[in-house]
Amino acid sequence: MTADPQQRLEPRRARPQEATHPTADAAPDLDPVIHAPARLRLVASLAALDDDDRIAFPRLQKLQGLTAGNLGAHLRKLEDAGYVAVEKTHRGRTPTTYVALTRRGRQALEDHTAALRALLEPVTARVSSLAAVGGTHHVHDTGEDS
Amino acid sequence: MSTSTPDGREADPRSATDTGGRAETGTADPQEALALLRAERTRTSRALQPDARLLYGVWGLAWLVGFVALWTATTGRGPLVLPGAVAETTFGLLLAAALVVTTVHVARRSAGVRGASARQGAMYGWAWFLGFGLYFAVMASAADAGASAGLLGVLAPALAGLVVGLLYLSGGAMWQDRTMYTLGAWVLVASAADALAGFPTNQLVMGLLGGGGFLVAAVVLHLRGRSA
Repeated sequence: MTADPQQRLEPRRARPQEATHPTADAAPDLDPVIHAPARLRLVASLAALDDDDRIAFPRLQKLQGLTAGNLGAHLRKLEDAGYVAVEKTHRGRTPTTYVALTRRGRQALEDHTAALRALLEPVTARVSSLAAVGGTHHVHDTGEDS
Repeated sequence: MSTSTPDGREADPRSATDTGGRAETGTADPQEALALLRAERTRTSRALQPDARLLYGVWGLAWLVGFVALWTATTGRGPLVLPGAVAETTFGLLLAAALVVTTVHVARRSAGVRGASARQGAMYGWAWFLGFGLYFAVMASAADAGASAGLLGVLAPALAGLVVGLLYLSGGAMWQDRTMYTLGAWVLVASAADALAGFPTNQLVMGLLGGGGFLVAAVVLHLRGRSA
């Protein structure tokens, strides 16, 4: 779980790009902790586990194709936000770390997904779906499939 | 991302290129971010769950080839008549191979995952162990009591089918897996037909219906593009 300074900086480097992007400006709901690409993948991957499950650090590392340092740094960010629970145990003599998405993390991912979907809906469609016109399904489908 | 890692160690080259390709452009666009979320979630659950196509495939093959080989040896009919001992050894080796493939595959896929699903899997694994413990006890006792070859020949596949069928039914119910549940029901029906057919036709019935059922399930899953 050690990270060198270069890796620690990485998530922050991504932020200016996001902030200057037009869609990011229009979307205050996008969670910067999750929105960074590597953490988006990480959270999505952890969300695939059942509610009650945890995954060992090395297995997660292999699944994500990240270095231990890189993964550790991203996990620390997510843990600081309360999105991920990191549990350190011992299996015999070997220390093992298990990782799981918290309830709050799952909620954050849901909110983030909803915010992304909202960005895809054209303004007119949003208005018409608010007015509860029969076209809601169609609008939703466009957002999901395209 | 991958370029900035100091030692460049990547466990999985495929996902490493994914990271590199999507990392810079991915989340800028909400559509791509959503696609990435979905893909990553699917990829992870596939990586952590056993591939049922493989499991149904190896057991289907073992049953089909094994039982048909036994039937040809017993009746002297069929495309390739093997001596009895050879047919029995073949069947035994096929079952052992299927067991090894299943154990290794399931252990690999579930490695490193703890919690409710691991406990479920362990409990389910013990159910197989106990079920077949009883199977061997009954078979040994029936042989000791002087059951005829005909009776043993009917009991062996039918009892095995009973254990397998019920465990597939319960597994299908537990994991809400319709294919698994259907396969369990099918194995019970095939085993009943097997028992009623009588020795030695039952060996052919079990090979074709039982083994065939597993193979059909594997093909159906494959065509559906699912590895759940």
